[in-house]
Amino acid sequence: MKNRKWLIILFLVMLTAIIAGCTDEKGSEETKGEKENESTTDNSFSIAMRTLGTPYVESHPEINDDKFVKEMERLSNTDIQIRLVPHNEYVERMTLMLASNDVPDVLQASGGVLGPELAGGVEAEAFLPLDDLIAEHGPNLLKKIPQEAWDSVTYDGKIYAIPDFLSNPSRRGTAIRMDLLKQTGLDVPQTVDEHLEVLRAFKELGVEHPYQGREKFKYSDTFFGAFDAFPYQYELYEGQVVPKFMAGDKIKDALTFYNTLYKEGLLSQEFLTTQQPEYRSNIIAGKVGIWSMNAEEVNSWEQEIKNNVPEAEIAIIPSPTGPDGKGGHYWYGSTTRSFVINAETKVDPAVIIKFFDWQLTEEAERFFTYGIEDDTYTLNEDGTVNYEVPEDTNLLNAQHYLNRWLWMVKDSTYTQGILELTEEGQELLRVFDEVLINEGRDSIQFTPPLEVYSSHPEISPGSDTPSDIWMTGAAKIILGQEPIDHHDKVIEEWLNKGGTQAIEEATERYNNEDGVQLPRTNW
Amino acid sequence: MRKTREAILKHKALYFIALPGILFFIVFKYIPIIGSVIAFQEYNIFKGFWGSPWVGWSQFEKMFQYSDFLRILKNTMLINFYDLIFGFTAPILLALMLNEVRKVLAQRIIQTVVYMPHFLSWVIISGVFIGLLSPSTGLINTLLNAIGVDSVYFLADESYIRSIIVGSGMWRDTGWGTIIYLAALAGINPQLYEAAEIDGANRWQQTWRITLPTLLPTIMMLLLLQIGNFLDFGFERVDVFLNPFNRENGEIFDTYIYKAGLLNNQYSYTTAIGIFKSVVGLILIVGANFVSRRTTGSSLY
Repeated sequence: MKNRKWLIILFLVMLTAIIAGCTDEKGSEETKGEKENESTTDNSFSIAMRTLGTPYVESHPEINDDKFVKEMERLSNTDIQIRLVPHNEYVERMTLMLASNDVPDVLQASGGVLGPELAGGVEAEAFLPLDDLIAEHGPNLLKKIPQEAWDSVTYDGKIYAIPDFLSNPSRRGTAIRMDLLKQTGLDVPQTVDEHLEVLRAFKELGVEHPYQGREKFKYSDTFFGAFDAFPYQYELYEGQVVPKFMAGDKIKDALTFYNTLYKEGLLSQEFLTTQQPEYRSNIIAGKVGIWSMNAEEVNSWEQEIKNNVPEAEIAIIPSPTGPDGKGGHYWYGSTTRSFVINAETKVDPAVIIKFFDWQLTEEAERFFTYGIEDDTYTLNEDGTVNYEVPEDTNLLNAQHYLNRWLWMVKDSTYTQGILELTEEGQELLRVFDEVLINEGRDSIQFTPPLEVYSSHPEISPGSDTPSDIWMTGAAKIILGQEPIDHHDKVIEEWLNKGGTQAIEEATERYNNEDGVQLPRTNW
Repeated sequence: MRKTREAILKHKALYFIALPGILFFIVFKYIPIIGSVIAFQEYNIFKGFWGSPWVGWSQFEKMFQYSDFLRILKNTMLINFYDLIFGFTAPILLALMLNEVRKVLAQRIIQTVVYMPHFLSWVIISGVFIGLLSPSTGLINTLLNAIGVDSVYFLADESYIRSIIVGSGMWRDTGWGTIIYLAALAGINPQLYEAAEIDGANRWQQTWRITLPTLLPTIMMLLLLQIGNFLDFGFERVDVFLNPFNRENGEIFDTYIYKAGLLNNQYSYTTAIGIFKSVVGLILIVGANFVSRRTTGSSLY
């Protein structure tokens, strides 16, 4: 009995110690945070950045102590405190930051400046309009950033953010296992029918998933593109702006095609619940014949497949073409992320603009491409750079982080300086500049998004995912539970649940040219 | 009034001890309730509480006009109802069965094993269930195939989703829920059983006439607490199983509030939905408490 009493006391003491330890830690963190927010020198500012799932960033114990960040500060003569925003809780964390009035000097927004992560901050004038500042302090920004990208961060005629831009919005490609194709003896397929033939031949070879599917048709909508029927895109049809699944019967052709793929076992049978990790691991394990992917990653994926299937060879081929002789995947926005400046910042905004302007100088390009001199690269006597693309995963992650994440304002299409160095890289440059640039489908887009969507999440599409209601119906057709004419009922349901208002609003805004971006054509 | 003051003075030590608890409830439970008034505003985080315009009942009107409101209400009610029926009775049955295990070691081992899932996060549990229910590689479909039944794509079919949500919750929490019952069972006077045995009662009769009646107050108390959480099913445990193909029967208020409120900045609208949910929950608990007091004599207050 007495023993037990002592045990309890010991337990309580330990508990108190642990609690005290925890609170103490928290306390010191908070004081540290406060210190960081106080700008000590004139060129010091804080910036909130989404981790974007970048492995190097997410596994770093303290990103502000990173050698590349330090070097960036040295070269640009700034003192920056980066605040990381977790990738998966981006919107929640950003709105919390804004609501609790704990706002850093610079915030990273996604593509435009009217997304939910800024919670209407631009309309509420919580961020600085930048036109005059850019005109005065941003000559490189003005010179190098294309007009489309500026348009996407403009609201009410004023620029509100510095865009991380894309010069080529067609980034997803159709990947095929060339080694398997050779085994079938068929030519590189071009039309959807030729693709069907190749997929059937893959099935006969014993390929488990001839075409890899994925939930919500993410990265598995190649054939919707061929029929110009991406269900999340809009177009003008008979005087109204409607979703592409209502523009004529082309969606039925696409769904019939997917139904055929499913029936014959050419599309992964569990695509409705296949998530990203499984989608990727199936491909890496060599179980897939044709799939859709970000072209940029093709070389690293090929490396990984070769670990499992040594003879594997991947190529990005022109996407399957439909009845109009065109095809391709959806076009990304002209801006991948952008940076807004807090209107209540105590820092001179010119410092921040100059920092972003510096990112487009030659000095910055060399740093963000190759890293630190005499550490990650050396200079030859003639002034050219001597850099070797690392093979080690950790070093590759570091390079990826530097090229894509830390380099905040750049042409995000690809990192030219890295791709030029290797043969596969040059091949990828060719894919981007000759294959991808000539394909893809764009949509009529609205910024801010249609009003009716905000309270009707089930009818609203994502940037590359269809609305829930449409997907539920389309899945039944593809799985063969309902005939193709069921699609008429899907449209009816979509219209009844708010779709009618969506079309009215879209058409009215289209006619009034109110926040409308027309499909881009000439790149 | 004077009586209250006298009572407080008389037991001042006890009230003093209760003070931190009372403060906790005021600061963390009652003060935040005031924030619910944004349901009557068009709340904008940049204008804040003082600057946002007042719009009266329009958020509630919008909610009742929402075409899927009834569907979501029905899902919320049904899932909670199933959870109450199955999720609540399962721990009682399990506790009774564990109580009948004679070997102490075996009983302890089983107890520990069934507690275990309680400590897993919903993300992991959903992974386990998605794996188990997979049409091509899942254990359940392999068994179905073995007895000649075709594979069923459980997670892509709206008719299974409620069972999956309730079932996964039971798998996780049934063992954990037995703790209180086992404690209550340990408190039953063994003399009652001895006397019953002498009178010739078998084990079944003993359970029926002694164990259950002595457990009843505990069961009622836990039932009332459970009903207090009615409609408050939790967001994560549902969201991890939802996809567009089972959403029709699986979406509840919590998941809708997350989608419309947090991801689409509709703070006032979703607060209105939250208030509606709380009011329904309050009516239910007052009603159940009333019925319980009338029928069994035990009640929360």
